Amino acid sequence: MTRYALGRILAGIPVLWLVATVTFLLLRFLPGGPFDKERVLPPEIMRNLAHRYRLEGTLGEQYVDYLERLARGDLGPSYKYVGRDVADILRDSVPVSLELGAAAFALTVVGGIGLGLAAGARRDSRVDRAISLGSLVGVSAPSFVVGAGGILLFGLALRWLPAGLWEGPLYAVLPACTLAALPTAYATQLTRAQVAAVMDQDYVRTARALGVRESRVRRRHVLRNALLAVMTYFGPLLAILLTGSFVVERIFAVPGMGRFFVTAVTNRDYPLVLGVTLVYAALVVVANLAVDLLYAWLDPRIRVGRGEP
Amino acid sequence: MRGLALAALFAVACSRGASRAPARQLRINLETEPPTLDWNLATDGVSIVAIEQLMRGLTRLGPDLAPEPDLAEHWDVSPDGRTYTFHLRQGVNWSDGVPLVAQHFVDSWQRLLAPATAAEYAYFLFGVRGARAYNAGKLGDFGAVGVHAPDDRTLVVELDAPLVYFPALVNFMVTFPLRRDLVERFGDRWTEPGNLVTLGPFVLAEWRHEYRLVLTANEHYWAGRPPLDRITAYMVQEGSTALVLFEQGLLDLVRIPPLEIRRYAERPEYLRRPLLRGYYYGFNVRKPPFDDVRVRRAFALAIDRAQFPGLLRGGEVPAASWIPAGMPFANAELGLPFDPERARALLREAGVDPAQLAPVKIVYNSDQTNKLVAEKVQAFWRDGLGVRVEVENREWKVYLRELSTDPPAVFRLGWGADFPDPDNFLNLFTSYSENNHTGWANPDYDALVERAAREPDTAERQRLYDRAQRILCEEDVPMVPLFDTSANFAVSPRVHGFVPSAMDLFFFEKVSAE
Amino acid sequence: MSARGWVGAAVVTALVALALAGDRAAGYRFDAQDTAHALEAPSRAHWLGCDALGRDLLARLCEGGRVSLVVAVGATGLALLLGLSYGALSGWVGGRLDAVLMRGVDVVYALPDVLVTVLLIEILSAALSGLPDLWRRLAALALALGFSGFVGVARLVRALVLQAREEVWVEAARATGAPAARILVRQVLPNVAAPLFVSAAFRIPAAILSESTLSFIGLGIQPPFSSWGTLANDGFEAMRSFPHLIIFPCVAILCALLGFHLLGEGLRERLEARPSR
Repeated sequence: MTRYALGRILAGIPVLWLVATVTFLLLRFLPGGPFDKERVLPPEIMRNLAHRYRLEGTLGEQYVDYLERLARGDLGPSYKYVGRDVADILRDSVPVSLELGAAAFALTVVGGIGLGLAAGARRDSRVDRAISLGSLVGVSAPSFVVGAGGILLFGLALRWLPAGLWEGPLYAVLPACTLAALPTAYATQLTRAQVAAVMDQDYVRTARALGVRESRVRRRHVLRNALLAVMTYFGPLLAILLTGSFVVERIFAVPGMGRFFVTAVTNRDYPLVLGVTLVYAALVVVANLAVDLLYAWLDPRIRVGRGEP
Repeated sequence: MRGLALAALFAVACSRGASRAPARQLRINLETEPPTLDWNLATDGVSIVAIEQLMRGLTRLGPDLAPEPDLAEHWDVSPDGRTYTFHLRQGVNWSDGVPLVAQHFVDSWQRLLAPATAAEYAYFLFGVRGARAYNAGKLGDFGAVGVHAPDDRTLVVELDAPLVYFPALVNFMVTFPLRRDLVERFGDRWTEPGNLVTLGPFVLAEWRHEYRLVLTANEHYWAGRPPLDRITAYMVQEGSTALVLFEQGLLDLVRIPPLEIRRYAERPEYLRRPLLRGYYYGFNVRKPPFDDVRVRRAFALAIDRAQFPGLLRGGEVPAASWIPAGMPFANAELGLPFDPERARALLREAGVDPAQLAPVKIVYNSDQTNKLVAEKVQAFWRDGLGVRVEVENREWKVYLRELSTDPPAVFRLGWGADFPDPDNFLNLFTSYSENNHTGWANPDYDALVERAAREPDTAERQRLYDRAQRILCEEDVPMVPLFDTSANFAVSPRVHGFVPSAMDLFFFEKVSAE
Repeated sequence: MSARGWVGAAVVTALVALALAGDRAAGYRFDAQDTAHALEAPSRAHWLGCDALGRDLLARLCEGGRVSLVVAVGATGLALLLGLSYGALSGWVGGRLDAVLMRGVDVVYALPDVLVTVLLIEILSAALSGLPDLWRRLAALALALGFSGFVGVARLVRALVLQAREEVWVEAARATGAPAARILVRQVLPNVAAPLFVSAAFRIPAAILSESTLSFIGLGIQPPFSSWGTLANDGFEAMRSFPHLIIFPCVAILCALLGFHLLGEGLRERLEARPSR
């Protein structure tokens, strides 16, 4: 198990390096420099700026310089935020996104599995039909639709929840629910399908026929297999929660890192783009590792030897 | 079920508590993170909101936008208009107790002009003798630049040529004094809370980047402690969300999004302020058909500016001349009116057949207002002149690149006053201005603008600017002014004394909140 | 196909019909301005009301639907094409090439897809500057979304190809020396087709979702043209005063996505119930 874990961690490093390189190259093809303003600047000033932000030299020189600084943990100064390092910017914003993401993740797991179980266990009942319909609508609603609805209903009409900002636990409710809406619906569908499939399997029917109690049947066989199936979704789920946050954070003014996925690119803030991409990639690698380990722990059948990914 | 009801009650209780507004505290929306609080480096309208509460300069602008003493108690001008001597006020201290001295201004201006600083606004002080050369790295010693502090309370500035508006110019943030010792000690982090030392009515207490900025009252402010204890400036980008927060009582001051203005028009919280900010369409006079002045005049005559207020509803003031209303030497009687008949006649005279003409392209940078204006102008030209018009938009940076390298046939731009003098607006279109994207050059116009900048006699100056505007807006028409913009605010009734200036600057010094 | 599947098919057909008709379905041109009716609520003259320039919202929605569908279908088509080639190659050839290609997939998965999409849109928009505005935007979006989405298809195809390769009749075909291309097309492709079809039915709504989200934040379709996302963004800015401007685009998006999901589910039930031969 430990060897497996170590192996997976090591495999992640070349991925990160490739990610950094690919993003670095993609960025160099972007049109426009980072210093266009409404007032055009005299050329001597433009030269000064190029020097300050290390935009001089060939592409190869810039790349080597970048890798060197990366190895020292220096993600460089931001182009748009004068005087601030990318590392500082991320240190402030990543925890917020992680908090928001964790809340949404919890909602998704608890909500998705709970609703999926309720629906799958009582197939074709009214409960099942209601939940199925709800989850269908849920996967069809973009986050800005859910967000707008949430603000109008809970913010303005009912005045229960603040429509934005991040001043306390109450402020996290609307953004987390908005972010979790689509994933919860999808997780519900996954769980329900899996539960229904498992309930149909021979060994469950046999167990039932042999008189083993209903609840134990459900708990042991159904839950575990359903969980295993849903866990394959956790990797993509993290990705969705992290990148989906850019719309939610914008609508609700939450100070996370989601917005940088977009603004750093449109601002041509190259160091910030690279920093954000690397953080994201690192999180994905870690998350995938965690899921794999969890999977291996839950299902002994796959612990020994790794074949095809 | 019961659990749900309890949770709901709890939520309601919490939210009620959260929206009770704290006394003597102001919560505003900055809309976005200020790129910097370093007043030598800042260039934008967001940073300036915070900087103006933290720092002051030699002069400030009065309600009539004339320069008034601030840190400079009074000033003298030499007879040739080239030397200004500012006498500093006594008893002004920085927030760490160090007294303000004239050398702090010299240090600040040196830093602004130093090549290594790479300040984008360095050219702001190019009127000072030697400043341009120093910034280009041609002068090694700042002593050769025309700004000196002969003693702690006197600042002497020597200009290349007499600039009538110089006292107004030094109200602008890039000329504020600076503590060089602190900048050297803290480097790029000198503007972080705990490091930053200022001398204005407020001090920086907290800066949670991309989220909120907190300013607290400066107990030792020379003009007296401000009534507010604390200002929290949030950074909410979505105008609608900010407005909802305002209505929930979580914010006290917000800008109203354009389409919501109608709903607020009659409400007591609404506050509108016309600004010294103009919006214009420019022609690239090198690209046919706009190389013919009659065609340019025709297209200008076909625009019905009176429709913009109803379309945008933001208090836009239709403007046919370029110096904005409210700025000294403005003249609303200048400029071309709406006359589609004359427009069509001019086109015929120029030998242009609208049906045969290639589609004219209007290019603008993406923005709700710009989009509406472009589509409106497209309709004017289509219906009034019979010309085919395409509308294209660009990302801001790509747009600017295009303007510098190959300006589109028709483009849009705005310009806000850095200091309240018409020179700031008219020198935009001189032949040597780097911001003149029309490609138009008229030596008579250049001469008029330069003479007017130095002209001390008000009546003569008015005459010169009128003549210049005639050339710009009626005769040669390289650009068409459309309207002057206004700022539209929603202000909570618990806030008193909020008076935004026409330069779109807020001063919270005299503001109080229950 | 189940009843739900048919409902989905009906919705999708209606959508396609509306998209083909475009603004003709509403009786107004999508860019016809009528300032007198600006921001009007739904009325007899304008069934869904008007926007800030007095343009009929129904016409804009139909035209927007056309745009959204074109982008979504284009993106899905590209993703399928790329994914099919990539996955088939990787699965069929196997060995070192497979390992390298799958490492590539790992890297792509580790990139934030939003960021990559935005980057690609910016690069492609600049590269395609010769085209007229709308086409340039449509192409950039479709290409960017297609490139961002092909890895999922590639993985799926690869797994299916691997599976098919083990089948007895495929082994037999290889043993008799038949060219790989013929085997792939004759034996493997039929196995792959059905799941791909189902995948497409789910990718299209995902592409609509992505495109409308991007347009919502201002990076997708540019004015004066519209997609549902830009219409929703216009509505969001004015949602307190003029709710009709946001309600109708959101309903349109919901219906479209629902329709495709229902159709996809119906297809999946139908096609995957068959034996894998």
